[in-house]
Amino acid sequence: MVGLVLRRVGQAALIVFLVTTLTFVLLRVAPGDPFTATVEHPLIAEETREQWRAAAGLDRPIAEQYIRYLANVARGDFGPSFSKGRPVSEELASAVPNTLLLMLAALVASFVLGVALGVFQAVRRGSIADRAIGGVALFFYSMPDFWLALMVLLLFAYRLGLFPVGGMLNPWSYEYYDIWGRIANRLHHLALPAGTLTLLSAAAIARYQRSAVLDVARQDYVRTARAKGVSERRVVTRHILRNALLPVITLLGLAFPALLGGAVFVEKVFAWPGMGRLAVEAIGTRDYHLVTATVIIAGVMVSIGSLLADLLYAAVDPRLRET
Amino acid sequence: MRHALALPALLVAAIACAERGSSNAPSGGTLIVTIGADADHLLPPLITGLVGRQVADLMYYRLAELTPPIRTAGDEGFEPRLASRWRWAADSLSIAFDLDPRAQWHDGTPVRAKDVVFTYSLYTDPVVGAPGSVNFANVDSITAPDSMTVAVWFQRRKAEQFFEVVHNLVPVPAHVFGPVQRDQLRASGAVREPIGNGPYRLVRWERASRIELAADTAHWRGRPRLDRVIWTPAPDPVTTVTRLFAGEADFYESLRPENLAQAESDSALRVVPYPSLQYGFLQFNLRDPGDSSRPHRLLADRELRRAISMAVDRDRLVRSIYDTLAFVAIGPVSRAVAMDTTMTHLPHDPERARRTLDSLGWRVSGGDGIRQRDGVPLAFGVIVPTSSRPRINAAVILQEQLRQVGVRLDIEQMEFTTFLERQRARRFESYLGVWVTTPTPSGVRQPWSTAGQSNFGAYASPVFDALVDSAVYARSPVAARTYWRRAYQTIIDDAPAIWLYEPRMVAAHHRRLRITEFRADAWWAGIPEWSIPPDERIARDRIPLAVRHE
Repeated sequence: MVGLVLRRVGQAALIVFLVTTLTFVLLRVAPGDPFTATVEHPLIAEETREQWRAAAGLDRPIAEQYIRYLANVARGDFGPSFSKGRPVSEELASAVPNTLLLMLAALVASFVLGVALGVFQAVRRGSIADRAIGGVALFFYSMPDFWLALMVLLLFAYRLGLFPVGGMLNPWSYEYYDIWGRIANRLHHLALPAGTLTLLSAAAIARYQRSAVLDVARQDYVRTARAKGVSERRVVTRHILRNALLPVITLLGLAFPALLGGAVFVEKVFAWPGMGRLAVEAIGTRDYHLVTATVIIAGVMVSIGSLLADLLYAAVDPRLRET
Repeated sequence: MRHALALPALLVAAIACAERGSSNAPSGGTLIVTIGADADHLLPPLITGLVGRQVADLMYYRLAELTPPIRTAGDEGFEPRLASRWRWAADSLSIAFDLDPRAQWHDGTPVRAKDVVFTYSLYTDPVVGAPGSVNFANVDSITAPDSMTVAVWFQRRKAEQFFEVVHNLVPVPAHVFGPVQRDQLRASGAVREPIGNGPYRLVRWERASRIELAADTAHWRGRPRLDRVIWTPAPDPVTTVTRLFAGEADFYESLRPENLAQAESDSALRVVPYPSLQYGFLQFNLRDPGDSSRPHRLLADRELRRAISMAVDRDRLVRSIYDTLAFVAIGPVSRAVAMDTTMTHLPHDPERARRTLDSLGWRVSGGDGIRQRDGVPLAFGVIVPTSSRPRINAAVILQEQLRQVGVRLDIEQMEFTTFLERQRARRFESYLGVWVTTPTPSGVRQPWSTAGQSNFGAYASPVFDALVDSAVYARSPVAARTYWRRAYQTIIDDAPAIWLYEPRMVAAHHRRLRITEFRADAWWAGIPEWSIPPDERIARDRIPLAVRHE
């Protein structure tokens, strides 16, 4: 098990390093730089922009910039954000927890919902309910992230008025709530963005789960259990579901990057102050340090998600522990 | 055509609603502004974005403040703020400002002349890299003869010398920022929780979530009417405006044409058209994009540019894109600051355009209807940012209108930063741009004069430059107006660009708000005088200023 963890950590470190390098180089060869966005500003002279570039070290060769950047990152310094006017680490410190909250809520909800729906469909294979759920799941699976987010926003926040339009909290009353009121207010704001991400990913999980349950249900040990007179409920929960969860655990590793990708659009539409929204804004303004740092953090998060999936898989499948 | 009928009525209604705030208006209430972006900074010398300026303008007073309508020549368009009065030297080369002895920073420290001198040193220090440093080119020095007097010394007399200093220099507290090393200023904690001297003080700035200001109830010029102002950024434009329609926000500064009908029909909202400082244009590159030392193979020809201009039906283009939410542009200046609007424009006359092109040797010979000369087609490219739907639409309409006289326009759409970089590097044949000017006629220099930093099309006219200089340094308003008119006419006749549209901004606000007249460059300038009648207040207006579970 220790060997597995070390191998995976080594692979993750290599991947993050390569992605960081690629991002660093691509950003600098792309047209524009962090100060190009001010080209149309009537009060910013080209000399001022040149001063800013020199102060940021952008007038140095790319290789030198890269070595300096790596040295700073090794010391935990991601540099200043050019567009936000404060250190990148501070931006990340306020955005990453918000994204983690959103993703974890969506992850838990989508797995609970997806697994439940998948099992329900498999048990009632071929029924109208199975087909209806399959159709709805396919519908949500096919939806573009941003479009679904907009529709959810317009229906539940604007038309029905059940949820706030965006943000993480009520901007004018939050400080006046007690602790429970604040938690309730946060959950109220979390519902739509997390719900949207859940709809997007639960659909895929349900389809995988249905297929896995049907595969397991054909196994000899299931037939044996039934022949021995084990109740159908016990057959499903003990013999089928536990074994059918194995391939779905693999999905956990894949769901993490998918959710992170989805969060980019969902955070933008729901004005959720997280990392996805930060990354979109940073790319638009060529905020080199901020883009690179979000890529590093996203790479680490995806690697951790993948590692967790591997460990979970190994924990439930003894064959893997031995290899 | 719905808007054509609606807007004149709206204008009348807006003027009727825009009552000057009075000191008798009751205090209290909350204003929530829904916006598309967060602030970049809140410390005036570092601010580049509009949202930062909106917030800072309520936190900080200038020495004097512009009042609508904008008049930037002399000092008649200003009223006292930090300075209670000012005195001009006989030769107009210096102005002495007497500070209001009651003025103080939000931490209780009095505002003194050393703060103004310190702030000037911040703006002009290359290490700080303040965006507005170019505004102080005509300032020789700023001194403090005593603690309550600020003396500004100028290099030359200019009609706008008062404006250039007073509008662009926003004093910040020396006792807070003085100890901070200049090269560490942007990263210091002090700039994120700045202390001001204006009618509102900063309560909190949660990045990408909200900026909250609360009324300084003991302010030396009297407390502002509204208790608090909160900005809530939402990057998606649909979300931004939906907050207004859902009642979660009270003010949105710029409705899109597609949202106007809904806002008009919403009984909880009022829409307010107001002038802007923007204009959109098609600028030609008069130099070769590959080698700027050479003239452009086509567009360096003044007669060709004029012919192209005459092929464009600007009125139809503006109606197609904006309906009544834009005017046809009057030239390289917006109506809000133009010193003259009576210039003669090249007419829309396709037949004359064709004749001119014929006379220049450009003839239709192939089946595609595009003119050629010596086997070279009459074609050039235009770059457009994908982020701007109006500009993309304008490019398509221009393409069709030019095609009708035998000119091919090749549209190249690109991501916004790439577009800006191509513009800066002058790697384009023409581009569709939008310029937001400073609130002064001399703002025309930067994009259109020979030495202008943003003159990406390389228009170079000694006549235009001389006329602008004469206007800027004219001693009398009448002479200045004459020079400005001649300058505008010169550049319009040279046609280095086709000035297309001047958008009319339309704000929407909750009906319970009583607002003041908008200033073209700053709708927010009057917020301290906005109010909400007690009998129209809603839940968020009744939140007290003090009690909180912190």
